[in-house]
Amino acid sequence: MAAIEADALAKSFGGRPACRDVSFTVERGEVFGLLGPNGAGKTTTLRMLAGLYAPDAGTARVAGHSIAAGRPGGPELRARVGLLTESPGFYDRLTARENLMYFARLQTARQPARRCDALLDRFALREHAHRPFAELSRGMKQKLAIARALVHDPEVILLDEPTVGLDPEATREVRSVVAELAADHATIVLCTHHLEEVERLCSRAAFIAGRLVAIHEIRRGSLLRIELAAPFAPDGVRGLCHSLRLSGSTLLIEPRAEVPEIVAALVRAGARIAEVAPHRDPLEDAWLQLLAEARER
Amino acid sequence: MIGVVIRKELLEVRRSPVLLLSMASLPATVVAVPIALLAWLVRAAPEQALLFVQDVYGVHEPAGVAAGVASVLARNWLPMFLVLPIFLAVLLAAQSIGGERERRTLEPLLATPVGTLSIVAGKSVAAMLPALAITWIAAALFCLGIDAIAGHMLLPDPAWLFGTLVLSPLLALFGNATAVVVSSRVLDPRAAQNLAASTVLPLLALLVFQLAGRIALGPRFYFALAAGVAAADVALIAVAVRLFDREKLLTR
Repeated sequence: MAAIEADALAKSFGGRPACRDVSFTVERGEVFGLLGPNGAGKTTTLRMLAGLYAPDAGTARVAGHSIAAGRPGGPELRARVGLLTESPGFYDRLTARENLMYFARLQTARQPARRCDALLDRFALREHAHRPFAELSRGMKQKLAIARALVHDPEVILLDEPTVGLDPEATREVRSVVAELAADHATIVLCTHHLEEVERLCSRAAFIAGRLVAIHEIRRGSLLRIELAAPFAPDGVRGLCHSLRLSGSTLLIEPRAEVPEIVAALVRAGARIAEVAPHRDPLEDAWLQLLAEARER
Repeated sequence: MIGVVIRKELLEVRRSPVLLLSMASLPATVVAVPIALLAWLVRAAPEQALLFVQDVYGVHEPAGVAAGVASVLARNWLPMFLVLPIFLAVLLAAQSIGGERERRTLEPLLATPVGTLSIVAGKSVAAMLPALAITWIAAALFCLGIDAIAGHMLLPDPAWLFGTLVLSPLLALFGNATAVVVSSRVLDPRAAQNLAASTVLPLLALLVFQLAGRIALGPRFYFALAAGVAAADVALIAVAVRLFDREKLLTR
C-alpha cells in the first residue's frame, strides 16, 4: 500500500481557493516533490496531509490513516507524520536539547532522551545541545527542526521549504541531511520552489499552481550530452545507444554501452568532441511550460 | 501530556528575567508602598491620621492610632490582592499562547498528537501556579506588615482568608481563561495582554471607591463575587477550548 494517497484534495479560506484537485500517491521509501510558486497551495496541501487542516473536498490516506472533507487527521495520524514547518519554530530560551526533548515527549517518542541524543549526534549538534536555541546558527536551527520531525520515528516525513531563507552553506548542509534521509529510504514529501532540490533528491514531483498541474518523473543521469565541435552524422554509434537525438551540435543519447566505449566509437568514426556530460533532467523547461499552460487556462 | 506542557512553560518563565521582574514589580509595590506609608504616617502625623480615618471611615479604634489606621488599610486593601492573580495570570497566559504564534512555534506544537484541551490546560495551570504563588506570598507579607504596625494580629481575618484562598484561584482562572480567549482571536500578544488585563478595571474601581470611603465591601459582596467569577470561569473555559481549534489558530 502507498504511504500517501491523496485524491482530489481541495481547500479554500474565506471563499478564496488555496488548492483544488490535488491527487497523487507516494510510495513507501519514495522522495516526492511538491513544486510550485509562492501561494500555489503547497503548504496547504502539506498541512492537510499533516492533519492540521481539514480538506473541503477530497480524501487522503497518510500512513494508513484517513483524512476526509471536514475531518482532518487525528492524533494517530499526527503521531505517524513528521512535519518540518517552514520556520524552525523553537523556544529561544530553551536549549537545543530541551527543545528537542519537549517535542519528543509530546510525540510520545520511545526512550526520548536516547532518541534525542542520537539525533543530535546524527546532525552534528551534540556540542551545541546545551546552548539556547536563539544562539544557534540558521543551519543548526534548521537541522534541529529536521531532527524534531524525525524524533518519533515517523512513517512519513513532510518537509516544507527546508532551505528557504538559508545561506548557501546552511542550504548545502540541510540538503545533505535530506539526501541522507532519502538514502535511508525514508518516505518524504519535499515541498519547495527550488527545482534543483527536486532534481537532486526526488524521484517524482507534482507541479501545483492552485491545482495539481502535472506529475513529472525525474530522470536522473540516464542521458548523456555530447557537444560536437564540428557537424557529424552519428549513425555509426546507434547500436551502442537505446536512443540517440542530434540537435544542432548537441548529441543526446541514452547509452546502452559504457560511456568511454561510446566516446571511443564516436572518435573512431571521425567525430570531434568538445564536451561530454551527463544530461540533467529538463525539469525547469517542463515546469515553465506547465506554468504557462496553467496560466493560459 | 499536561505535565510536559506545564514543565516547559515553567522552565520558560524561569529563563525570562524580564518577565520575572515584571511579575514581581506589581506585588512588591502593592505590599511595600502601603506598609511604608502607613509606618510613616503613624510615626510622623499620628493625630491627623487618626482624625482622617475617623472622619472618612468612621473608625474608632480603642487600641490606638497605629491599630486604627492599620485596620482601615487592612479592610480596604483586599481588592488590590484580588487584582494581582488576574493581572499575573494574564501576563503569563497571553505571552504563553500569543507568544507561540509570534515565535511561530504554534504549528510544530499543533502538529504533535497532543489534544488542544491538554495544551490549553497545561498552559493555564502553568500561568496560574506562579500567579497564585506570588499573590499568596505578597498577601502573607502584607498581613505580617500590617500586624507588625498594629501591634497585634489584625490579618488575616475571615474576609482576607476567603479572598486569598477562594477568590484568588477563581480570579487567576478568570484572568487566564480571558487571556486564552483573547489570544486566540488577537494576533499580537501584547495587544492580547492589554485587552485581557483590562478585566481588572472594575476591581480597581471598587478599590478606589472603597479607599475614598464611598463604599464598604463586605462578606456578601465577596461571596457574590466568588459565585459570579466561578460562573464566568466555566463559560470562558468552554469558549477557550472551542476557540482553540488547530485550523482556526493557524489560519488567523
